[in-house]
Amino acid sequence: MTTETLLIELGTEELPPKSLKTLATAFFDNIKTQLDSNDLTYSDIKWFATPRRLAVQVIDLVGKQQDKTVEKRGPAVNVAFDAEGNASKAAQGWARSNGITVEQAERLTTDKGEWLLHRATVTGKAIAELIPDMVTTALSKLPIAKPMRWGAERTQFIRPVHTLTMMFGSEVIAGEALGVTSANQLQGHRFHHEGLVTLNHANEYQAELLKAYVEVDFAERQKKIVAQIEQVAKDINAVALIDEDLLDEVTALVEWPVTLVGTFDEDFLNVPAEPLIYSMKDHQKYFPVNDKNGQLLNKFIFVSNIESKDPSAVIFGNEKVIRPRLADAEFFFKTDKKQSLESRLTSLESVLFQKQLGTLKAKSERIAELSQFIAEQLNENADDAYRAGLLSKTDLMSEMVLEFPQVQGTMGKYYALHDGENVNIAQALEDQYRPRFAGDSLPEANIGCAVAISDKIDTLVGIFGINQAPKGDKDPFALRRAAIGSIRIIIEKQLDLDLSELINKSIELFGDKLVNENTANDVLDFIMGRFRAFYQEQGISVDVIQAVLAKKPSAPLDFEKRIKAVTFFGELPEAATLAAANKRVGNILAKFDGQLTAFNSDLATEQAEKDLANVYQAIKLEVAPLMAVKDYQAALSELAQLKAPIDTFFDNVMVMSDDEAIKINRLTLLNEIRNSFFAIADISVLQ
Amino acid sequence: MTTYNSKTFQGLILQLQDYWSRQGCVIVQPLDLEVGAGTFHPMTFLRSIGPEPISSAYVQPCRRPTDGRYGENPNRLQHYYQFQVMLKPSPKNIQELYLNSLKELGIDPLVHDIRFVEDNWESPTLGAWGLGWEIWLNGMEITQFTYFQQVGGLECTPVTGEITYGLERLAMYIQNVDSIYDLVWTDGPLGTVYYRDIFHQNEVEQSTYNFEHADVDALFKQFDQCEIDSQKLIEANLPLPAYEQVMKASHAFNLLDARHAISVTERQRYILRVRTLSKAVAEAYYAKREELGFPMCNNNTSSTNTETKGDK
Repeated sequence: MTTETLLIELGTEELPPKSLKTLATAFFDNIKTQLDSNDLTYSDIKWFATPRRLAVQVIDLVGKQQDKTVEKRGPAVNVAFDAEGNASKAAQGWARSNGITVEQAERLTTDKGEWLLHRATVTGKAIAELIPDMVTTALSKLPIAKPMRWGAERTQFIRPVHTLTMMFGSEVIAGEALGVTSANQLQGHRFHHEGLVTLNHANEYQAELLKAYVEVDFAERQKKIVAQIEQVAKDINAVALIDEDLLDEVTALVEWPVTLVGTFDEDFLNVPAEPLIYSMKDHQKYFPVNDKNGQLLNKFIFVSNIESKDPSAVIFGNEKVIRPRLADAEFFFKTDKKQSLESRLTSLESVLFQKQLGTLKAKSERIAELSQFIAEQLNENADDAYRAGLLSKTDLMSEMVLEFPQVQGTMGKYYALHDGENVNIAQALEDQYRPRFAGDSLPEANIGCAVAISDKIDTLVGIFGINQAPKGDKDPFALRRAAIGSIRIIIEKQLDLDLSELINKSIELFGDKLVNENTANDVLDFIMGRFRAFYQEQGISVDVIQAVLAKKPSAPLDFEKRIKAVTFFGELPEAATLAAANKRVGNILAKFDGQLTAFNSDLATEQAEKDLANVYQAIKLEVAPLMAVKDYQAALSELAQLKAPIDTFFDNVMVMSDDEAIKINRLTLLNEIRNSFFAIADISVLQ
Repeated sequence: MTTYNSKTFQGLILQLQDYWSRQGCVIVQPLDLEVGAGTFHPMTFLRSIGPEPISSAYVQPCRRPTDGRYGENPNRLQHYYQFQVMLKPSPKNIQELYLNSLKELGIDPLVHDIRFVEDNWESPTLGAWGLGWEIWLNGMEITQFTYFQQVGGLECTPVTGEITYGLERLAMYIQNVDSIYDLVWTDGPLGTVYYRDIFHQNEVEQSTYNFEHADVDALFKQFDQCEIDSQKLIEANLPLPAYEQVMKASHAFNLLDARHAISVTERQRYILRVRTLSKAVAEAYYAKREELGFPMCNNNTSSTNTETKGDK
């Protein structure tokens, strides 16, 4: 069958850059799904996106669906005809609905009987007939956060739509979407190309747009941008700081990237790098540059959307924009330094952390106490931890952080050093917010860990304490992140801390502010839930996590040890049988409502029973000292030896003996064995 | 068309006014009340409600008391100007119309990097929101561009396209000065007059008033009175005077804000009170126009076509 290239392009006004890639790939997925479900074959399919278009191109697409034979079964032959051989009403109706007579029907015979059968040929539809509906469906399923209307139309989309191009080879597919009729006319570059671009063949899409100053391939455009940035950086002997998200955003803001470099006054470099970088990146979408030693330079790289007749005018303009912003940062830095962080504690009294939980001042004091408590357990300088906790929120009152919230903590560090606080305290101020996102670095020193954990636990306990636990997607206090951050710090930094103790201490610090009586349990359960996500992400299987969660180990390092031990155990050849045996024992015990006693070897009647008891007694002696040092892995290795005697026991011994005493004795033995496993994890859930 | 010297502040205004007049806009004069933005002008706020088509352009002085800097900051003012254009329904070529206005100001889009960067607008006090962009000229925001979706809590059908030029910013760019006060207001036969000459003393004195002298108790009373009056006027089916009371309440609120007289939690409550009034006005205005049979729907659509690129 002949194949051709299909092109679908929607030309729009400037789309939101942060969601462009998501929109383009969703459009692509929606088209692809429909092609596949309609049995339309092709050799390749690609997506394109610029600020003013979303497109999909399909290579070597078949011109129409294959004709298909469909078998339609009718009534059974024995009811389709009466004794005289006349067709019943039902049979006639069925035949009519298929456009045949009963006489024309074939027969389908299986071992279950014989039926009337019609083999219908369904003619495959042509591409031109199928595509318009597919496009409409694909567009209607795009993830649009805020759809809009324009003009006097009722149509809704992300931004107003101007052109629609649906072409199969050189043919325009007739149809419309979002109020626009399909034509072979495309928008070129907004300024470099006058009028619309006429496309003669779907194959020529990329090439024709390139001539109209549009690099339509997102990935290709991004590659060009990166190459340009690197070249420009090299020319000025610098290293560009290329942030992935910013790069995507910039790629979504231009159709014809032209990278330039601007300069600002060197004096601004007296301000810490972070707020300067933030000013450049966040609002202006500039790429900051470092020298070879990692020091920020007084230059920035930016990507324009035109090949300007006078690039110096573009550079001049951008330099003019950044100047007052940097001047603001410089002004804030100078002003802020006039006041010590300590003196800002008073002003924290006027800022609410949460209505029921009091001010940021109160929160700072709780963080200080909890940090001290943690530092004592870690044998760190508790005075430093207290001080860092107390000052932790003071930089929020500085002009700089009010203007650039992203540099919170970091500015605290600079101002603390300026105030003459010691380096450990200053560093802890910066580290308190870590980890800020998945994969972010952790606090460097333990004082920083103490403050970071305290801040998070305080928020968790406080918010759960006033019954405002996150619901569904709503997590305004970012409690999930706080919980997973605490877990990461404690485990990855190998801190010997117990969450229950921290939670209880925190509850005590809140005094009478908390109204939820189950705060301690609720917070612990919530954090347990995060352990699941934390380990799943590391590739630990769900049943292993489940087995450990059954124990709710509140010390993360202990949790970690159990996870490792159970993972190890799960790979032993004995694991499957022992898991099943534990489950079986659990089921038996669940049905038993009598009283267990102590195991009495005199009551053991069967050999298998005696053997199991003996082996278990021996293993128990080995296991006890291992459990004392929390060597769960070695303990499970020992317990694994129970496989053979347990197998023999179940094969030969009837647990539910008619003799009540013997029965209870057997159950007691099984219960003790199960408890030995359960002291580590609920291995009955292992698969 | 006349060519004005857009390198002066008044020439810039005249040029924009001339351009949008040629596109068919009703050129009206500024509203004679204190407002925070050109959107408050009834020509935009009220006229974007309901089905009646209309397009308008005007200069609007804006007051934002908290932005006062006693005339000491080269980039911030408590009183400044916006050039406001509203087109209803938003024409298909609205972006082009806007870009042509820049060309008339002498801004060549093949020299300068002009960009439409996503920026969505929301006015909590007006119960209004829309989607659109800020326009960048070599990285500097010079215009807000919004397709209104809702105003006064009512869906906009048809949609109004709003274009708001920040006149001082644009002028600073065109004149290449780093301080608002260095802008040339006019440069005529009677000599050169600067923005400083017209407004510097005003910035110093008004900032002092806003931050130090505005009578807090009187303002609170005024706010309450405006609220009462507005509600009464709505009951009397007089949405236009009722709306003036909303604007007055809104300005009283802004002054109280500058005096730090409203705490963070209270702030939200005040915004809600103004929003409630705005919504009531919007509904009353709609009902009144409906009662009148939406008269502007019956006007002949003009003989000048907004789809053309102007008459040069």
